Amino acid sequence: MSETGATTPAVDITVPTRPSMHLGSRFLKALCWAAGFVTIGVLLLIIAYILVNGLPEFFSRDEQGTLHFKASLFALKYNSRNLSMLPAILNTLTMTALSLLISVPLGVGGGIYLAEYAKPGSKLVKIIRVTAETLAGIPSIIYALFGMLVFVVTLQMGISMLSGALTLGTMTLPLILRQTEESLLSVPMSYREGSYGLGAGKLRTTVRIVLPVAMPGILAAVLLSIGRISGETAALIFTSGTGTGIAGINDSGRTLAVHLFKLQEEGRAVGASFAVAVVLLIIVVLMNALSSYIAKRLTKKG
Amino acid sequence: MRGLFLASACVCIFAVGVICYFLFANGLPFFAKYSAWDFITGTEWAPLRGIYGILPMIVGSFLVTFGALLLGAPIGVLTAILMARFASSRVVRVMKPAVALLAGIPSVVYGFFGLKLLVPFTRNMLGGNGLSMFVASILLAIMILPTIIQTSEAAINAVPNSYYEGSLAMGATHESSVFRAIVPAAKSGIVSGIVLGIGRAIGETTAILMVAGNQARMPTGILAGVRTLTVNVLLEMGYAADVHRESLIATGVVLFIIVMAINFIFSFINRRRVVQ
Amino acid sequence: MKLRSFTALLLILTMALGLTALAADFDAKQVITVVSREEGSGTRGAFVELTGVQAKDASGEEKDNTYSEAIISNGTNLVLTTVADNQAAIGYASLSSVLHNDTVKALKVEGIEASTENILNGTYKIARPFNVVTKGELTDELAKDFMAYVMSKEGQAIVTEDGLVSSANDQTPSYAAANKSGSLTVGGSTSVAPVMELLAEGYMELNPEAKIEVQSTGSSAGVTGALDGTYDIGMASRTLKDSETEKGALATVIGTDGIAIVTNLANPVEDITVEQVRQVFTGEVTTWEALNK
Repeated sequence: MSETGATTPAVDITVPTRPSMHLGSRFLKALCWAAGFVTIGVLLLIIAYILVNGLPEFFSRDEQGTLHFKASLFALKYNSRNLSMLPAILNTLTMTALSLLISVPLGVGGGIYLAEYAKPGSKLVKIIRVTAETLAGIPSIIYALFGMLVFVVTLQMGISMLSGALTLGTMTLPLILRQTEESLLSVPMSYREGSYGLGAGKLRTTVRIVLPVAMPGILAAVLLSIGRISGETAALIFTSGTGTGIAGINDSGRTLAVHLFKLQEEGRAVGASFAVAVVLLIIVVLMNALSSYIAKRLTKKG
Repeated sequence: MRGLFLASACVCIFAVGVICYFLFANGLPFFAKYSAWDFITGTEWAPLRGIYGILPMIVGSFLVTFGALLLGAPIGVLTAILMARFASSRVVRVMKPAVALLAGIPSVVYGFFGLKLLVPFTRNMLGGNGLSMFVASILLAIMILPTIIQTSEAAINAVPNSYYEGSLAMGATHESSVFRAIVPAAKSGIVSGIVLGIGRAIGETTAILMVAGNQARMPTGILAGVRTLTVNVLLEMGYAADVHRESLIATGVVLFIIVMAINFIFSFINRRRVVQ
Repeated sequence: MKLRSFTALLLILTMALGLTALAADFDAKQVITVVSREEGSGTRGAFVELTGVQAKDASGEEKDNTYSEAIISNGTNLVLTTVADNQAAIGYASLSSVLHNDTVKALKVEGIEASTENILNGTYKIARPFNVVTKGELTDELAKDFMAYVMSKEGQAIVTEDGLVSSANDQTPSYAAANKSGSLTVGGSTSVAPVMELLAEGYMELNPEAKIEVQSTGSSAGVTGALDGTYDIGMASRTLKDSETEKGALATVIGTDGIAIVTNLANPVEDITVEQVRQVFTGEVTTWEALNK
């Protein structure tokens, strides 16, 4: 939240003098620690629960009791007996790539406009900001309706990876746009001045000098988007559907998250859903770790 | 190139326009066939008999969100205070990514976790059948924690250090300076974080569908089930045809209006803060 | 800090797991947890019709009287999971799915066991057809060939193996692969989808050039999809409505599926009458104790 930087309200500072007040504050501080433990505890509980129940699902025992990796979970073709999640994993990759292909150029381009070209405070900029905020606040079930009505029905793309990707592209656009703008704005003015001084034009300065410096911030946003795309269910069920095969652009295909949801609904195996949850969790943790690693490197530089 | 950048920035405006247009164009014809008043105030939902009352879902959405807030807001704000002012930098280094991770866990995984662990737990401890408003609220509270924590923490960190130093100089302890000088100064930022959390909670679908029981009648208690607006759409869209389908899009329109109102309140609070 | 939070976590975890594992003896005083499906589901449509949960009201209109406290699950598996986890629960689901699931118990209805034989000989009454729906006669070569496979000896063997009742007999022709190519989309009922997936897999083994995609969305969506061309072939787990046949929908029965009434394994009840099913699912009877009287 960048807006928070502008806070300077006037507040009366009433200073406690009685010891009882110190006690009250002490108590509140203890509550803070308790809340912190709850937050971390809940996270650990979720992760531990999924891992404890999910990891054994990747292995099976033969008659001698030796453990074997269940390779059938990653068979090339899904069928209702092996419940392979490989097609879903590949579909998740396709969906992520397609969605990013839409949201990254638009988001980065829009961010460049807002940070480098637009007159700050102009009417248009305000409208763009408000609409970006609106897009970010729209629930995924509304995106589901939007994708279904616009891409699937009106533009006749059918229930396909393309419809799903266009929907998710729109959904992740504001995230990338705002992060790009913020990262560009945090690049010191001196970089630009130096470049202008050497005779470079606006476009050259932006693309060759400013953008590379802001890159880690943009990359962090892209990684977060990957997390959101791979975790999305509601918006995809009616747009890219539940096809079980490895999907091309015009086919319906389920991503991992949809696969998990559908296994809950129709399937005949609870164990396999835990295994899917594990993979999904690993993807999200990975994307988050990468994202915060890059963000950390960014702050060190700055 | 400038034009190209401008065009991509304007895609946001275009997208919002298209979403609004298609949602309303497909949802509003329903009200030509069915009174909007009966739709919003009707307490019976029986689409196969042509009765479409979504009051139970509206009330359900608000109750579940309220429950989530009751639990999530205090924990979130207190955690934010901890991270901003009390915890050592080593602890914060652990907590920050943890909170980000909490935000990143897909809602279907939350739902799965709720269904497998919280539902049986509630049934055995508190009675009822477990698929309840109670579990839905707990799950939502967990899901909105990161939103509240991140916004509040940023707001608290943005309070100028002079507040704190002033308070210390007047003889207050570290703790009371935090609670009596800094937190009140960050109040509006914290409130906007909570409002953002409300928006998240009201829009959540998949996780709730899996744990809330989904009965389409007026809520009867916290251990009984509930159906929210979002769930109504996701649950029945696959089956719906004709007027039933339109009624679900109209449900989406109502949800959209509620979410927009919440977003508006959020930006209103923010703007006032900036003006101050 | 790390150690403390870790021990705290362990504590929470063991407590939580311990409690879920806690299973008491069956308590007949418990309120029955009724588990139903969403409106529009083919399974629900057939179930309420066959058991009298749906009845004509005073004005002569058909009314689905499903108990308002019934949990609404959006799929067969969610019904089974809910019933498997909850001692006091009762639900209903496609028999072919229940036969593949040993975490719940299928009740006898009127003393008749829910089995494929009893559906075939007509003694188990709660059964409905699994339909594939097309808009008029099929014209697409691949679709025709696929349907020929589904209705052939080989296709019907898959249907039987999956727990459905097949109408195949000695006269049913064998399927000869014609090595067709192209792609088909089959979509609709979540109950029919699992067996359709098996059929599609079987077909694609014989015709490696062909691609058949199975979408599970719901019976009504299956019929609508077949009519508007979203699906080449639709699936419905109920008989077609008049409004649907008027628009040109044509149904072919690929097998008959029972609807099993399922309870938790810990529940001592073994047998139930159709009237009792109606009473439970309309909320007239709300405890197991009252039901057994």
